[in-house]
Amino acid sequence: MKAFFALIHREFIEHRGAFLIAPLVLVGVVFTLTLLAFSVDRLDTRFSGQLMTVVPTWVFEAGFAGLSGAWLAYLGFVLFFYCADGFAADKRNNAMLFWKSMPVSDFKVLLSKLTAALTILPGAVFAVALISILLMFGVAYVTAMIAGLGNASLFGAIAGIYGQMALVLLVVLVCGLLWYLPYMALVGAMGSVVGRWAIPLSLLLPTVVSALEWVTLGGLHPFATRTWAYLDYRSQLPVSTNHLDRVFEGQEPFNATLFVTDFLQKFDWLQVGIGAVFALAVLYIASEYRRRAPAN
Amino acid sequence: MSELSVSAEPIVSARGLTKSFGRKQILHGLDFDIPAGRIYGLVGHNGAGKTTTLNAMLGLTSYQGTIRVLGEDPFAHRAKLMENVAFISDVASLPRFLRVRELFALLTNIHPNFSQDKARQFLEGTDIRPEMKIRTLSKGMIAQLHLAVVMAIDAKLLVLDEPTLGLDITYRKRFYRRLLEDYMTEERTLIITTHQVDEIEFMLSDIMFIRDGEMILHMQMETVSEKFTQLVVDSAEAQAQARDHGPVYEETRFGQTVLIFDGVEREKLEPLGRISTPTISDLFVALMQRPTANPETAR
Repeated sequence: MKAFFALIHREFIEHRGAFLIAPLVLVGVVFTLTLLAFSVDRLDTRFSGQLMTVVPTWVFEAGFAGLSGAWLAYLGFVLFFYCADGFAADKRNNAMLFWKSMPVSDFKVLLSKLTAALTILPGAVFAVALISILLMFGVAYVTAMIAGLGNASLFGAIAGIYGQMALVLLVVLVCGLLWYLPYMALVGAMGSVVGRWAIPLSLLLPTVVSALEWVTLGGLHPFATRTWAYLDYRSQLPVSTNHLDRVFEGQEPFNATLFVTDFLQKFDWLQVGIGAVFALAVLYIASEYRRRAPAN
Repeated sequence: MSELSVSAEPIVSARGLTKSFGRKQILHGLDFDIPAGRIYGLVGHNGAGKTTTLNAMLGLTSYQGTIRVLGEDPFAHRAKLMENVAFISDVASLPRFLRVRELFALLTNIHPNFSQDKARQFLEGTDIRPEMKIRTLSKGMIAQLHLAVVMAIDAKLLVLDEPTLGLDITYRKRFYRRLLEDYMTEERTLIITTHQVDEIEFMLSDIMFIRDGEMILHMQMETVSEKFTQLVVDSAEAQAQARDHGPVYEETRFGQTVLIFDGVEREKLEPLGRISTPTISDLFVALMQRPTANPETAR
């Protein structure tokens, strides 16, 4: 296991630019711009502070959700490119020869890449996301204080919201990664074989498979097939919105425990299991290709 | 090299080793054994099959026939085999995104027989520092680092495929000297390929010549000096007499004729001119000559 963890660490070192440094730089730039905006009165602390007298907790919940959504979108983007490019990265500069001189199997190497894509790499983005939201909350609270609204009860409410929303983000993130695991494995496996061509191919492949079904089994058009319907279902995270609907309708306040419980209960775990088996299968096929492919 | 021991069990054993890429056969059923504690030079033209042979030994390519390295099938059990085998196939293959210290830390966890302390010792006296990124190192420094890495692995077999390609003479000399002084022991076996055969001749215990995927010479260096003789003659009469002994190679250099003989007693050649043992590069030229450099395409 020591070697496996070292391989995961290697992935982090190689790809920390996209998963840690770039997000941190982004946060730094936005934070600096925010401070600058307040300092030159582009943003008015009285307005932002007073906003919390109207919708005190909603501002924080919506702000957290909005920023989380942006970070999840960023994570999806970089994970896609990581899988397409990172799985073939060992070929760069002939480094495959070096890694092949190590006592680790090709399957273990590819599994470490997939494991990194599920753990340390999104974990880094998650950590930066929490830092960015903390900064946002900090700025909001300071403006509230300047507007004369800062008090212990508001601070306690903000801390509670932060904790609850962080839990929600973590659960959604973990479930999202498990849900999209087969896609990541497929793109990674294709990346192991064809390198960066996996990017267009991964977009083309569903269309080809669906068209193949339409040609062989019939249907209204290439996108009205069982394959397409399944892929459509598998490409959307099944989020239960029962609790959120009630929150938006003002029937009840947001409760992270309720949301998480409802979310986990209604999550399609069978599909997650099928996806995990599929992921291991394609990863094994890719490792066999890598084992047989010329290293130089 | 005579003090190097030869154990009964060969480190590498190949029988009928064959490899084809498409319809083109690269290796034509090689048979050889490499005992422990030897330093082998594997020599051949470009495209002769040296790298393919090494790749088969290292489990980097599939093959027909049988090959066993330390008793294992290398293609089936490459990962396990690499615990006791180290190789450099290209000195520029170290991962560029790592710092030197990160590389050592990773290897400490990945390779059970890697010693970080040894690697750091091997780098003493060089300009390489732990904080340096590998991509910022010069080619010579990368070669030094790669050599330090493989020498810090307690392996039974070390395979070097053109390890000094593109390096200047200073680095090449230093590279081989360190290898010999700091790494080689009786328990270790070294297989090396290079086009600069004269530079490694002093350290070899055995030599293998591969031509068009076939082994045309495989013997100990002592046997080479006993078996092959080089004769330099000045006169046409001596040249004619020398030809009667059936030289395997003949060429004219600066008005003199140089002939190489295989298995001819030196006493018979001595009266005809100056005799010596041919260098590996002379022997290479003598034994590897063929109608064209690429007979396959010439057909």
